[in-house]
Amino acid sequence: MFWNVLIVGIMVGAIYTLVTMGYSMVYGLLRLMNFAHGDVYILGTLLAWTLLSAHHVSPILAIPAAILAGGALAALVELVAYRRLRSTQHRMISMITALGAAYMIQNLSELKWGNQVLPFPSLFPYDTFSILGVGVSLTNIVTLCIAIAIILFFNVFLKHHKMGKAILCASEDLTISSLMGIPINKTVSIVYFLGGVLGVIGGILYSSSYNVISISMGFRGTIVAFTAAVIGGIGSFSGALIGGMILGISENFVGVYVSSMFRDPIIFLLLIVILLFKPTGILGKNEIQKV
Amino acid sequence: MNSRPAHVMHSRATATNRNPEHTSPQSSGRKLGLYVVLTFFVLSLPQWLTDNYVLGLINFMTIFGICCMGLNLILGYTGFLSLGHAAFYGIGAYTTAILMTRHGFGFMSALALSGMLTLVSALIVSIPIRKIRGDYFCLLTIAFGEIFRLIAQAWIPFTGGAMGIVGIPIPKIFGYAIQSEADFYYVAIGLLAFTYITLYLFVRTKFGRALIAIREDELAAQAMGVNTPLYTILAFSIGSIYAGFAGSLLAVYQTTITPSNFRIEESCLMIIMVIVGGMGRLLAPLAGVVVMTLATEFFRSFSEYRMLIIGAMMILVLLFRPQGIFGTSAFKN
Repeated sequence: MFWNVLIVGIMVGAIYTLVTMGYSMVYGLLRLMNFAHGDVYILGTLLAWTLLSAHHVSPILAIPAAILAGGALAALVELVAYRRLRSTQHRMISMITALGAAYMIQNLSELKWGNQVLPFPSLFPYDTFSILGVGVSLTNIVTLCIAIAIILFFNVFLKHHKMGKAILCASEDLTISSLMGIPINKTVSIVYFLGGVLGVIGGILYSSSYNVISISMGFRGTIVAFTAAVIGGIGSFSGALIGGMILGISENFVGVYVSSMFRDPIIFLLLIVILLFKPTGILGKNEIQKV
Repeated sequence: MNSRPAHVMHSRATATNRNPEHTSPQSSGRKLGLYVVLTFFVLSLPQWLTDNYVLGLINFMTIFGICCMGLNLILGYTGFLSLGHAAFYGIGAYTTAILMTRHGFGFMSALALSGMLTLVSALIVSIPIRKIRGDYFCLLTIAFGEIFRLIAQAWIPFTGGAMGIVGIPIPKIFGYAIQSEADFYYVAIGLLAFTYITLYLFVRTKFGRALIAIREDELAAQAMGVNTPLYTILAFSIGSIYAGFAGSLLAVYQTTITPSNFRIEESCLMIIMVIVGGMGRLLAPLAGVVVMTLATEFFRSFSEYRMLIIGAMMILVLLFRPQGIFGTSAFKN
């Protein structure tokens, strides 16, 4: 029992890490709370649901299409709602437009899909086998492996690819990077695109292992991503991993051993505790305010 | 953005009736005349406007107006984004509902206690403001709002769960039962006047100037000797009391309250009302309340598009007129 809960917790943690990485990257670049993140990736996941369940498209085509659509939507949101406000206005303004974008996307998906819980098809077989006497479901293991592979791939991309280096550089200082010849608008678009892509991958993995998808998961997803990012230390990738894991594992243990009613409150509780005692997160550095 | 000059022209054109600094004897006479006419108009409204639907709409606007004027103190004057305002509205409503339905309290004492409980919870929420700034504070208010909603939904014996609390009794003020839309109109307008007068007294003093200094440049304000943590906590708590009063009024007006009245969407709606009306001016949020209520009322038959309209307004207003209709200040970099 304990080991099962732990393995499912680690799997959920790995999925949260994917979603958080996308979120953390966007935040690290523009210091903007992207409230639309969760709704964008739920829309992408719902698109995958439509293609898979309603139109019976093969997963090999449907999933990449949904992922690309999610990425494109995230980039579009940035282009319409955030870009014009980036240089001239107070950051709070883009936060409010982000909320506006979130509500628009949420309402649009609600018009298309309604707000009931839809059954998402499993992408992986349900076989269980035992490792060292612990029964493990194949879905959990495959999901976990895919999530970890994408996390590793993404880290390599950031550290070694030219575009990845540009993203890291721009997160350090936007103005100086633009003086060094990094095309800022293009970089920001790509970061939003990648954020959406990682989000939709996370959303599809989560929905296929729990077999559910609903609109209300969008706002929750945003909060989960932000909480995990804050717990680990915002803008840092190992931070996203630590935060995602803490959240996934604690959520599962509380859900199983205390009550499934406390799955959501535990996230907010962790958020408040970390904000009160270490707002910079576990790996975060203290930012000194300069005049 | 180059919308600044347009705004300056705008405020000059209407300076005679709105800008208190502008006081030649002639204009103050005209101002007094205007106030008398306005007061007479407001007080006589239910006498000739007998359409209960319109009067009900005005009552809703007044309740939201009280909320938004309080929020303006936090958002417009001090520059903090609070996404938990609907939770304070809810605390006021649930306090009144529980006290009146289960403990036999009268409306006036329930109203006062609602305000006090809201004040206490706002103080508790805002005390970490010393350490938690900006985005993190915004996040804290979201967490607070969501926890309030989860408690309201899950603690069924106390809050009635998703069904809420029904059958809140008719309020009596000095023995007079408040029943018709017109009665509620006078109570709501009275509370709105109270809100305006108390907020006016706050912002005209050292307190108000300190808040504006914090909004403009917090570090500079601190360097000039403003106790910024104390003032932000005070602004947040005082701004939230009015949400408690408004919630209390909502409870007796609707006679039924459910957790869905106090979701984060309502906090967003209040924020966009303040922004559309204009931040940093006491009465400006009322314009936002009127515009947004009429907009959502106009699209009532398309109620499934409600959040789409609100979301689009949030983006369009901030892209093209971030200082709102009457605001003195947009957020600056």
